[in-house]
Amino acid sequence: MRYASKALVLLLAGGIGSRLNILVGHRAKPAVPFGGIYRIIDFSLSNVMNSGLTKVGVLTQYKPLSLMRHIGTGEAWDFTGRTRGVKILPPRTGEKDSDWYKGTADAIRQNIDFIKANPSQQVVILSGDHIYRMDLDDMISYHRQKKADVTIGMMKVPMEKIHEFGTGIVDNDNRIIDWEEKPKEPKTDLASMGIYVFDTQYLLNSLAKDKKEIDFGMHIIPRALAEDRVYAYPFEGYWRDVGTIQSYWDTNMDAIRPDSDLSTEQWGIRPNPDADGLTMDRPPARLASGCHVNSSMISAGCIIEGTVINSVLSPGVHVHKGAIIKDSVIFADSVIEEDAVVDLVICDKQVRVGQKAIIGHGGNKDTVNRLYPTHLYTGITLIGKKAEVAPGISIGRNCIIHTNTTSADYADKKTIEDGETL
Amino acid sequence: MLKPSTLAMILAGGRVDELGVLTHYRPKSAVPFGGFARVIDFPLTNLMRSGIELIAILSQYRSYSLINHIGTGAAWDMIGRHRGISILPPFKDYHNPHWYRGSADAVYQNLDFVKYHNPSEILVLSGDHIYQMDYRKMVRYHNEVGADLTAAFVQVKSDKAHRFGIGEITEGNEQGGRLLSYEEKPDTPKCNWASLTILCFRPEVLYEILAINQHNTSYEFGRDIIPLMMKRNYKVHGYKYHDYWGYTRTVEEYWQTSMDLLGPNPKINLEKWGIRSNLEHRGIRDCQPLLIGPNGEVDNSMAYNGCVIEGTVRNSILFPGVKVEKNAIVEDSVLFFNNVVKKDARLHKIVSDVNTTFGKGSRVGCLEESTSNERDITVIGWNNIIPDGLVIEGGCTVHPNIEPSLWPAQGLKQGEVLQ
Repeated sequence: MRYASKALVLLLAGGIGSRLNILVGHRAKPAVPFGGIYRIIDFSLSNVMNSGLTKVGVLTQYKPLSLMRHIGTGEAWDFTGRTRGVKILPPRTGEKDSDWYKGTADAIRQNIDFIKANPSQQVVILSGDHIYRMDLDDMISYHRQKKADVTIGMMKVPMEKIHEFGTGIVDNDNRIIDWEEKPKEPKTDLASMGIYVFDTQYLLNSLAKDKKEIDFGMHIIPRALAEDRVYAYPFEGYWRDVGTIQSYWDTNMDAIRPDSDLSTEQWGIRPNPDADGLTMDRPPARLASGCHVNSSMISAGCIIEGTVINSVLSPGVHVHKGAIIKDSVIFADSVIEEDAVVDLVICDKQVRVGQKAIIGHGGNKDTVNRLYPTHLYTGITLIGKKAEVAPGISIGRNCIIHTNTTSADYADKKTIEDGETL
Repeated sequence: MLKPSTLAMILAGGRVDELGVLTHYRPKSAVPFGGFARVIDFPLTNLMRSGIELIAILSQYRSYSLINHIGTGAAWDMIGRHRGISILPPFKDYHNPHWYRGSADAVYQNLDFVKYHNPSEILVLSGDHIYQMDYRKMVRYHNEVGADLTAAFVQVKSDKAHRFGIGEITEGNEQGGRLLSYEEKPDTPKCNWASLTILCFRPEVLYEILAINQHNTSYEFGRDIIPLMMKRNYKVHGYKYHDYWGYTRTVEEYWQTSMDLLGPNPKINLEKWGIRSNLEHRGIRDCQPLLIGPNGEVDNSMAYNGCVIEGTVRNSILFPGVKVEKNAIVEDSVLFFNNVVKKDARLHKIVSDVNTTFGKGSRVGCLEESTSNERDITVIGWNNIIPDGLVIEGGCTVHPNIEPSLWPAQGLKQGEVLQ
């Protein structure tokens, strides 16, 4: 017996995710490509589908076009049908509440009409920017068993990372008795995953109380804790926040590490094959005579004539003879020309790397990016969408080449030093 | 031109004996081809690219796989107000107790469907060839010359010409010309222009000739309809096609046409063709990208999403879901969906149907490179589990669903058949 059919899902997909730098220059974080043929939001949408939930609202705000195109009718995740559906809920003006979404709780509050129009027993609130698998049906049934007002998905994280999360202390019954948002001196290693199950009526009442309460972690949950039944749903398993360049790269690499627990196919994660570029209406990957490919994920439509090691390639990437790609993530339809080297790079879509260009030159990974020292500090270089990397040029570590850069933009430069931005 | 004027009818009913175990459970048109697609995806993609959006598929033999594959037609954008693919299975009615007795009979029995759509041209296509063609050019030619029938021809090797319908075309026009003679599978072909079974008819003429043909005892377009029209002096034109044409009537041809996808300059450039398939069929849309392990080695091969390669793959085509385990070697082979090649197994020059597992250390196919000739292809039917260590030599045929107890411990010798 599934419980999920009586629950409504609200997916928060409005975040900027600015630490992903130029990858979110023209798209929202949930729409960032991942693992070759997916986008980050596919994980949340597929979890929802695989849990038997059939009604979803997606709250968008920041650069939603790419996300809206990707979601389409929702057919890819089985959300089409008379009583099924996925609705995009952008901020809007009305008689009242005419404003941008000011926070997670505020975003939900501005869509109370959607919640009321789709009667449900529970509302499941998720964020669209994590890589994980979770059975939400089990969480909903747990929520009902505990007769909770709110249930929060929580997992143990390493102590050194706990300051990034909302944290909770639980009693023997997993009831949350204390809560701290991003604590400097943490008392627990139990972190909130930003996944909430609310009793619908409770949520409506709670949101009606004080409109200054705009955030779940900061306002709604601490108050609920004092007054009502708030439970932790313990989650064990693979879960990654891909909010930084380093964690984004690392999580992509998990897709090819034999010992990692990330397996999109086994998890039942579905991409949208009808989205832009028809990711799967492409012939099988063609690995030409003389190519070398190891420890890599290669999507349909790729042509590999050179060397690819430890990398993830989206559909339609063409690696010409003599080119070497190593430890990199390459988005769709990028072309790496003869004898170019791409080492520790995230390349956005439709990038052209000219002959004999070197990206990721030298062994100095310690010179951080001058403009974004907190974004690029582990050696990864970023190449923006549709950028051209001039033939023969040498680009160092922790560099950024911006979207739409053309060969002319390099002027007479032969090298881009470590940590520089073009 | 709001409503489509051309109706395409794809002949997809037949099975071909020479393809053997590959067509035990599916018609020829539904045979997998090109690492993720089916043979019928080629004419369907051609139609889509040609803007011909009203399609009927005549199916008869084991049609489930085909019906499943066509689905709603959405894969080829064939759903909409005036767009659609209709599957026309055989039926009984007041007048007619027959199965489709041939390709021409199949169309004849569905003339009410055809007339309802009132097309300006009827394009009859075979569903089992690998080629790319813009049918619009041919339809334009057909209308320009005012032909009753325009048939497409391609030049084949002279020593193979006796296997095809051969047409002599009047010289002079690059695009085509009046057909001087037509012979179906002649012992001594007059030339080497072979029919592609791409036939563009003027509807009234087709209705007329199909009715006449009903008095006959054979009902095939190539064998009966074209010769009948020649005899009765209808205006029949030959349209010359010059590009790649892949024929898949025998296992050897199927294998060769598949190999034409490989090499430094593939004869069939799938990237350029933009071939479409139904990704719902067998759930290939749920596959993750191809995963190549730390010890994987792949050379001159194609593999679609869902494959996992830990061993060595050379000169081969892997359909979605094929797993090649460590130290296994796959060479010169075509492995359909969800084959598993266990550790230390070695395959050479085989075609293996879906869901077959090759046991640890098994040896399948012609292993001696030097003695290999085109008859040496080993074909394995679907849903087989080949025991660990078993040796199956070249040129063997294994039928689908072999009971575990039936596998001979000594293996299969050159050319043996297991059923």
